[in-house]
Amino acid sequence: MDALGFKFILFMITALVVIVSSILMATRKNPIHSALWMIVTFFAMAVIYLLLNAQFIAVAQVMVYAGAIMMLILFVIMMVNMDKGDEKDTTKAPWSFGKKMAAALLMVILLVELLFGALFYRMTARVGDYPADAVAAAGNAKTVGALLYGQYLFPFEVASILLLIGIVGAVVIAKRNK
Amino acid sequence: MIEYIPILVLLCFAILIAVLIVGASHLLGHRISRKAKLSTYECGMQTIGPTRMKMNIRYYIIAMLFLIFDIEIMFLYPWALVTGGLKMFGFVEMLIFVAVLFVGYLYVWKKGALEWE
Amino acid sequence: MFQEIPSGLCLVLSGIIFSIGAIGAITRRNVIVIFMCIELMLNAVNLAFIASGNAFSSMDGAVFVFFIMTVAAVEAAVGLAIFVMVFRLQGTVNADEVNLLKG
Repeated sequence: MDALGFKFILFMITALVVIVSSILMATRKNPIHSALWMIVTFFAMAVIYLLLNAQFIAVAQVMVYAGAIMMLILFVIMMVNMDKGDEKDTTKAPWSFGKKMAAALLMVILLVELLFGALFYRMTARVGDYPADAVAAAGNAKTVGALLYGQYLFPFEVASILLLIGIVGAVVIAKRNK
Repeated sequence: MIEYIPILVLLCFAILIAVLIVGASHLLGHRISRKAKLSTYECGMQTIGPTRMKMNIRYYIIAMLFLIFDIEIMFLYPWALVTGGLKMFGFVEMLIFVAVLFVGYLYVWKKGALEWE
Repeated sequence: MFQEIPSGLCLVLSGIIFSIGAIGAITRRNVIVIFMCIELMLNAVNLAFIASGNAFSSMDGAVFVFFIMTVAAVEAAVGLAIFVMVFRLQGTVNADEVNLLKG
């Protein structure tokens, strides 16, 4: 491989796909188009997780986000949006251009702060016990499992309560009572 | 990383073939745009009113259940890999997890959300 | 053979995606699109977790991301149910119109 490295080039291409598709997601007028661009973003993020040696999370990303959550969002868009124009079917005046620009400027300041932190703040932490090649030798999902069902046992059991609350809450809200 | 090269090659081929087929038919095929050609196909009717139908809320409940149990399956994958080393302890902890979710399943069942009416 | 990606770049990407999600959540008026922008921000945080975990050769980042995914799924289930009911009661999902807490 050349000086830059195959992984690096792949990362750059995927990062570009993520940024472009997420910008398209945030700006499309039709919410269905937004949702489809969101799926592209999630797939590209899964590729980045693969490049960062997180195979199990990449698969979970495709299965949970791109598969299940986006399906649910598309269902709900089909349920609530009878017409395409979502921004204009309101009696109130839409945001003025200046107001939108002010909001965007606020976020650009946030972005600059984040970039400053990411580039100039040197992170320090104790180096962990799971170097990438050792994890790859043991199996990525297996290592996650060993942590999840050992050290993180209590959060795992609490997650089941959270899922139970999710089921009950959604059914209570959405079920038509006769 | 090297084991993902076939997926990359597959992805490239898929994009190439999709672009090739659509592009070739766009470039090579000749188009006739007469009124009869562009009209709704034979037995179709001119649509009246909005064509987007409002979907039933029952689909939402089924999709929501799929989402929650999809997460449960994602928790089961790593468990299945390490359960040999965890012995009885691992079995019992997963039993508690599944039992709590089973309560939710029973609730949905008793509430009648699974029935189509 | 394959050199690792510098973790600073991943954090920069995470910051960019987070900002795009924040801009979308502030400027859009459709609550479903706002919800998707919030999911995008959650994903940016996930990316930061994975990148730091990879940089410090630790697996805790992956476990945290897994729990965040669980929370996001439950949030989607309950939040979207609320949107469906708001649409049924008010006939719109525009965030400017839905400004009453009572049904």
